[in-house]
Amino acid sequence: MRWMLAGLLFALAVALAIGTVAIRAGNAALRHDVERTYRDIQDRMGELERLGLERAETATPEYLAAAMWAQLRAEQQRRLERLQ
Amino acid sequence: MKAGERIRVRAAFGLLGAVPAFLAGWLGYLQVAQAGQLEREGRAPLRLVAETADQQAWRTEAVPCPRGTIVDRNGSVLAVDCQTYDVRAVLAVPAREGRSVQSMRAWIGDVATDFARAMVADPDLADRAESFQQHREAFRRLFGDAFRTDDLPADGPVPDGHPRVADVRIAGEIDVLSVVEALREIGARRSSVSMHFLRTFRRVHPDRDATYGLVGHVATDWTVVPGTNERRLATRGVCGLETWAALAPAEPESRPFLKDGRGQPYFVGPLHAQPVANVLHSTIDLELQREAVRQLTTQAEAGAREGSVTVPKWGALVLVEMATGDLLAAASWHRDARHPANAAFTPTQSLYEPGSIVKPLVFAYALEAGRLDWSHEFDCAPGSADYRERIGSLGSRVVRDDHHCSVLTPHGILVNSSNIGASYVGLQLEREQWHDYMQFYGFGAPLGLRLPNESRGGPNAQSFDPSIPLRSFRRNSAISFSFGYEMQVTAMQMARAYLRLFRGAGADLRVCRGLEIGGEWHAAPPAGGPGPKFRPDVVELVREAMVDVVSADPHATGFHMHGRMLKETGIDLHGVVAGKTGTAASRIGIPGRGKVEVRNASFVGVFPAEAPRWLAVCVLQKDDSARFYGGSYAAPPAVRLLLQCENLERRRQRHKEPQHDANGQVRVVQGSPGDSGWGR
Repeated sequence: MRWMLAGLLFALAVALAIGTVAIRAGNAALRHDVERTYRDIQDRMGELERLGLERAETATPEYLAAAMWAQLRAEQQRRLERLQ
Repeated sequence: MKAGERIRVRAAFGLLGAVPAFLAGWLGYLQVAQAGQLEREGRAPLRLVAETADQQAWRTEAVPCPRGTIVDRNGSVLAVDCQTYDVRAVLAVPAREGRSVQSMRAWIGDVATDFARAMVADPDLADRAESFQQHREAFRRLFGDAFRTDDLPADGPVPDGHPRVADVRIAGEIDVLSVVEALREIGARRSSVSMHFLRTFRRVHPDRDATYGLVGHVATDWTVVPGTNERRLATRGVCGLETWAALAPAEPESRPFLKDGRGQPYFVGPLHAQPVANVLHSTIDLELQREAVRQLTTQAEAGAREGSVTVPKWGALVLVEMATGDLLAAASWHRDARHPANAAFTPTQSLYEPGSIVKPLVFAYALEAGRLDWSHEFDCAPGSADYRERIGSLGSRVVRDDHHCSVLTPHGILVNSSNIGASYVGLQLEREQWHDYMQFYGFGAPLGLRLPNESRGGPNAQSFDPSIPLRSFRRNSAISFSFGYEMQVTAMQMARAYLRLFRGAGADLRVCRGLEIGGEWHAAPPAGGPGPKFRPDVVELVREAMVDVVSADPHATGFHMHGRMLKETGIDLHGVVAGKTGTAASRIGIPGRGKVEVRNASFVGVFPAEAPRWLAVCVLQKDDSARFYGGSYAAPPAVRLLLQCENLERRRQRHKEPQHDANGQVRVVQGSPGDSGWGR
């Protein structure tokens, strides 16, 4: 009986050690995921800045006026072609 | 259990039990016998504490802070740092591919293709195929140099000692998400490639063409960190508002992370403090700045494309809010500039002789000083008794008018812009009063805007030389000062002088409304301070004369501009815009050309004429003999800009667009780059 208990305690110790390592490994894996997510967020913040600037550039009166004229010219061309 | 079995089991369990006993003993030896530290050769002892164990795997990455953001008075971004990546890769040739030259070359080619494919992952890229070819060739050359492929034999095994690991810079200023993800994917897919993304910033100036001189630009150079020999790349402002110290980036922040057995980083925590850029709230109104640039450029280049008109050498257009002295817009134009970044910022750096534009300033000063009777009539005809008595008696000095003038009151002298009449008034002032006149209006004094390389100008060096006899001063300097000669100013100085005419000697220009430092708002103090002011009736009389300058009176110098605007816009400017024209001919030295005759056309206008709120100064300088007058050439862009001020204000009120509040603080337009999140 004593040896049985000693064996069980040893098995418990091994199980605890394996469990601890598994939890730590799981923890590290989760931290890897968090790291990836963190970097993804950082990347997207940079992308947001870039897109925000691009959109701001395309909303200036000069750009909008140029875009409108281009659209009008295209429409005029289309109508002329339709008439011919 | 037999005795032998029992012994074996005991021995096995005894051995197993010895393991923790050994570990406990070792721990005791390290923690007690070694007294908490390990001696290391050539290095400091290693302290045996928990942090030491953590530090074996802990790393920190330095995250640089961005330069400050510059916004206009309504929160629109003028300059901002955008996050980018500087990408490096450590390439290690896998053992299998490193056996033969052929397989190593093939591997390098594959990796180059992978990187080239990643670099063209931007979905908005126009010429993808061509760009891909260029990138692939560039990477092949780069990796070939790094692995010294030229030194390899044509075939056979890779020689011993030949480099199999290389650290290469893949690209800088990577800010497109799809490219970043594609590059990261290479590192995840290929165990032989270790990617490093270093955070950097790219300075972005929206509306770049409109803000070159005023907002300025930056340069990135290697600099030595003070107190150390460490050299690092630093971005600094070269001109304009970018040179302000408040925009310098703060010290880098650090972020801890851990590295696993494969060298892969994993998360410990975010940045200790998210880097927050300072925000400089300028007084510039971006829409008016665009309009100023457009008006000045249009006027300067008008007719030049057809070859019928010569273009000026340079031009400047300045717009100021009169109640605060806030600089709303300042446009600069150059004929010979190869690039706007290399050109002088004319509103503060280009000097010119102002000409008749100073006459209201002289008359206001003389009236305040009690040296001028506004109801007095002067005979401004050349050769008249008045002329002989006041000017002819001084000697050989001859003063002429552009058109014949007869008997005029001071009001009439200003409307007709009579040089003879102005000389009569100027000769009433003493030398000390002329000196005080220069100080009152700030001619020759810096603007205090902290814009670099400002020109001061002022009267000629010998004008106030005490050794010059009074009679000589009166004959030369006093007469010349009366109609804006023998002195040099910048357009911005002229704007400040008129601001002082209306608001007193304490009025100054301002270009900064406040700063957000670490998210905390610091309002800039009002520009200027206390100082003497002209009596309201003095300002009123001069203003009334300026109103009549822009009228249908054929003798008024603003007559041509009045007619032109009436025809163009249907607006009768008389009583709407008040102003003064100026035309001056000077000889200046130009490198490589010697002394050259130049003509300066200038105009100062205030709007609305009855209760001025905005003030504009326009100057254009030509270096040829073309006909060129302030009223017809410099006035139209200034007047159009003044009218635009009101149009813009009405539109903003109608659409309830964001505008600055009383203390000058505005929110950086939400969602825009540089949004500090203030006020949310």
